[in-house]
Amino acid sequence: MIQMTDVSKIYSNGSVALSNVTIYIEKGDFIFVVGPSGAGKSTFVKLIFREELPTTGDLIVNGRNISSMEPDEVPYLRRGLGIVFQDFRLLPNKTVYDNVAFAMEVIEAPRREIQKRVNNVLDLVGLKQKTRTYPSQLSGGEQQRVAIARAIVNNPLVVIADEPTGNLDPDTSWEIMKIFERINRTGTTIVMATHDKPVVDAMKRRVIAIEKGRIVRDQEKGVYGYES
Amino acid sequence: MEYFVRESLASLRHNGLMSIASITTVALSLLILGMFLVMVLNLNNMASALESQVQISVYLQDGLSDYDTRTVGTRIAGIPGVTQVTYVNKDEALSKFKQRLGDQQGILNALGDSNPLPNAFEVKVDTPDEVKTVTAAISQFSGVENARFGQEVVAHLFALTRMVRIFGLVLIIFLALAALFIISNTIRITVFARRKEIGIMKYVGATDWFIRWPFLIEGMILGFGGALIAVLLLTKSYGLFTEQVYQSLAFLPIIPQYPFLTNISIILLVVGTVIGALGSTISLRRFMQV
Repeated sequence: MIQMTDVSKIYSNGSVALSNVTIYIEKGDFIFVVGPSGAGKSTFVKLIFREELPTTGDLIVNGRNISSMEPDEVPYLRRGLGIVFQDFRLLPNKTVYDNVAFAMEVIEAPRREIQKRVNNVLDLVGLKQKTRTYPSQLSGGEQQRVAIARAIVNNPLVVIADEPTGNLDPDTSWEIMKIFERINRTGTTIVMATHDKPVVDAMKRRVIAIEKGRIVRDQEKGVYGYES
Repeated sequence: MEYFVRESLASLRHNGLMSIASITTVALSLLILGMFLVMVLNLNNMASALESQVQISVYLQDGLSDYDTRTVGTRIAGIPGVTQVTYVNKDEALSKFKQRLGDQQGILNALGDSNPLPNAFEVKVDTPDEVKTVTAAISQFSGVENARFGQEVVAHLFALTRMVRIFGLVLIIFLALAALFIISNTIRITVFARRKEIGIMKYVGATDWFIRWPFLIEGMILGFGGALIAVLLLTKSYGLFTEQVYQSLAFLPIIPQYPFLTNISIILLVVGTVIGALGSTISLRRFMQV
């Protein structure tokens, strides 16, 4: 599913974000990427959806080689991925329904299918009653649920989440994690960079710890392992 | 397709003032471009009309006897290169002149019965190159008041055309750049206003062309709209202009409005649309990398 071989990322200002990372993530895995701020977690997830390019090494995602990929292939890579951000990134002038439908419209999905899928995923994240609401009328947790619905509406093989609970209180974070778990149960791979120690410790999933750009721990049913 | 047009129109409405400014600039630039095109083509037309009828007019001294007149005619016909010599007496000359004046011939009534025009020969030569030497030779003949040929006028007209063309070209380039700049600026504002949306489109896998189209269409609408205004103004004013010329200066060889202006309109509309598309492309390249 995701295969990194000896991947390094050095930014143009010379700072080394990742060095010689080799890792394999299988289909259906649920992975936490943990580590102190600036350790390279964010770079790690950004490489997967080709927001950043590896400086050296090979990275294969859903059978596509990121390093040798032509720019016009990137959209097709991303159609197989769902991306969730800490700051939700919803469009304020669109309703909940339209925010989710937007992700299907812009890849030119058939209209009838859009309606069906959008209602399905909104049901899955528990927002069926709020389809006509605007993001500003929602709580943070609800907004993140809309973002998750948008990320999975195109049936991605992998969902990538960069600090999805970073802006949410503990109770809400739990609700969000339950949704991710539900998505994972359908066979979708989940890669989540996070700071959220209680969540990581309680979920008992595979944990990859990154420090100063290197993987220092890769543990099945792991814990956060840092004092947060 | 429907999506693209809907998005473009929404954005045009959203940036009302900038859209109007863009359309106005394009309209102004293209109107001036159109005016210069019309002017240059008309001057060219006039020059070549004159050139094709290069002939030497030989004006005779007043009161020259018939015999002397005939002698001059024979001598002219004897010059190598001369193909045709036609005698035009002063009465004929006056009625020809009256014809050319058309509606305005009333002004000649002031002359009363007197006729200020001299007797003359119209001389045609083999090739335009010979005109100068033949004219010089004829000027020396006794009984000849003076000999002239139209090439001087043609040369002046061509010089004028060249000047208008250079001046017009500089102005047009300058205005086209201004139009390009303001359109790309309008699109830049649109792109900026929608950068969040574009970002999300990229994350969920929209292709670059899908993202570009609404902006391209918006730019093309701005360019086409401006061109349309320019075309309407130009057509209307050229119509009025030709009408005036036909009424009062009928002898001027003006190019008729159709199909001449139809062609110019097509050129302007295409140029406007291309400028619009180009302006969008510049902004998309620079500010969105799509």
